[in-house]
Amino acid sequence: MKEKVKVCNLHKSFGKLDVLKGIDVEISEGEVICVIGPSGGGKSTFLRCLNRLEDVTAGEIIVDDILITDKNVDINKVRERIGMVFQSFNLFAHLTVGKNIMLAPVELKKMSKEQAEVRAKELLERVGLSDKIDCYPHQLSGGQQQRVAIARALAMDPDIMLFDEPTSALDPEMVGEVLVVMKELAKAGMTMIVVTHEMGFARDVADRVLFIADGVICEQGKPDELFGNPQQDRTKDFLAAVL
Amino acid sequence: MNIEKVLENATPLLFEGLKITVLISLISIAIGILIGLFMCLFGMSRSKILKGISAVYIWVIRGTPMLVQALVVYFGIPQMINLFAPGFTLSNITASIITLSLNAGAYLAEIFRSGISAVPPGQVEAARSLGLPYSKTFVKIVLPQAVKIAIPSMVNQFIITVKDTSILSVIGLPELANKAKVYAGSSYLYFQTYTLLAIFYLVIISILMIISKYVEKKFNYERKS
Repeated sequence: MKEKVKVCNLHKSFGKLDVLKGIDVEISEGEVICVIGPSGGGKSTFLRCLNRLEDVTAGEIIVDDILITDKNVDINKVRERIGMVFQSFNLFAHLTVGKNIMLAPVELKKMSKEQAEVRAKELLERVGLSDKIDCYPHQLSGGQQQRVAIARALAMDPDIMLFDEPTSALDPEMVGEVLVVMKELAKAGMTMIVVTHEMGFARDVADRVLFIADGVICEQGKPDELFGNPQQDRTKDFLAAVL
Repeated sequence: MNIEKVLENATPLLFEGLKITVLISLISIAIGILIGLFMCLFGMSRSKILKGISAVYIWVIRGTPMLVQALVVYFGIPQMINLFAPGFTLSNITASIITLSLNAGAYLAEIFRSGISAVPPGQVEAARSLGLPYSKTFVKIVLPQAVKIAIPSMVNQFIITVKDTSILSVIGLPELANKAKVYAGSSYLYFQTYTLLAIFYLVIISILMIISKYVEKKFNYERKS
């Protein structure tokens, strides 16, 4: 399978705090990766480096043969192809659901307003929210907001999707509806990198699970191997605590 | 009580003053918004020089009473300029506009800054992650939300600016309070004249508040359905 993302010796520090201490990983096209690990271990920072929401301190990230850690690269062009979904949804509060989805494609001249509206309707149908196109974000439940956020990211036709703990801010009964949408996306062949605490989802959907702790990938493998037979003590302790 | 006499004689005078008050306020608020916007952007820029200009400006204006600023602009600065360019004069209208807009600009800069920094950082991150450049993110996402947050404080500043025109009677601006003072002094009808003056201010400020409620409603996306 074609290599989609390659990360070499990634380091990230905030001042004196070293959060990532050398991450190496390769991700193939269509692969679904779940990233698990303790809080403060660097999972989210790792994800945010992949579209350079955080500037890396050292190391290289290559996406589709483009070295995105190069300062001269047009990061906005790169980001158009990498969708991101946040823990706190971050829907644009002053825009309706429809306009949230249409904004980027129209502003970045990917589509006309009419095309974008057709696309927005399609995407809302896909996430099961066709009737909400004229609602404002605050009128939706958390689960609905997160599904709109996924639709908004998909509107740019990305070929990689990053999820930063997409269900952590949701009431328990709303987690399912978001995971269903993500599962369908995985089935459709999207390359996905998901930071999550949903071990059930990781076990069902992931092709590979990364366990990140203390700024490094402590252990990785297929879900059955990593959950069924962890090798490292750090992984065993973590899994014993969360499962 | 001579109420009829005051209404008959003072009202036309006060209306003359009202024209000046409203005109000077509107011009100064417009210029003040521009100054405030630039000083706010200067303050948030990366350049140390621009940051410094904005910080010193806001510090000086906030740190001195407007009465003193008016005296410096109207009497002080022209005297200095006259040393180099004899014959230079500044009308009290121009001096008033300069003073009021510099004053409003400093407070508005702070109001804009706090509005912008009150927009949650997640909004910017979401826009940037979609590939929107910083400029588009600012115009399409940050500014509309910042304006909504800032409207009540902005209106408050506009009200202060309107009322502060009365301070400019010290440099002889023929505005509302100045006219009342002149009439009261010549007629000795202080209570009646100044009560009428207060009513004039109340009416203008009330109109301003009604407009602001309407604007606030228009921007309040959280109540729309």
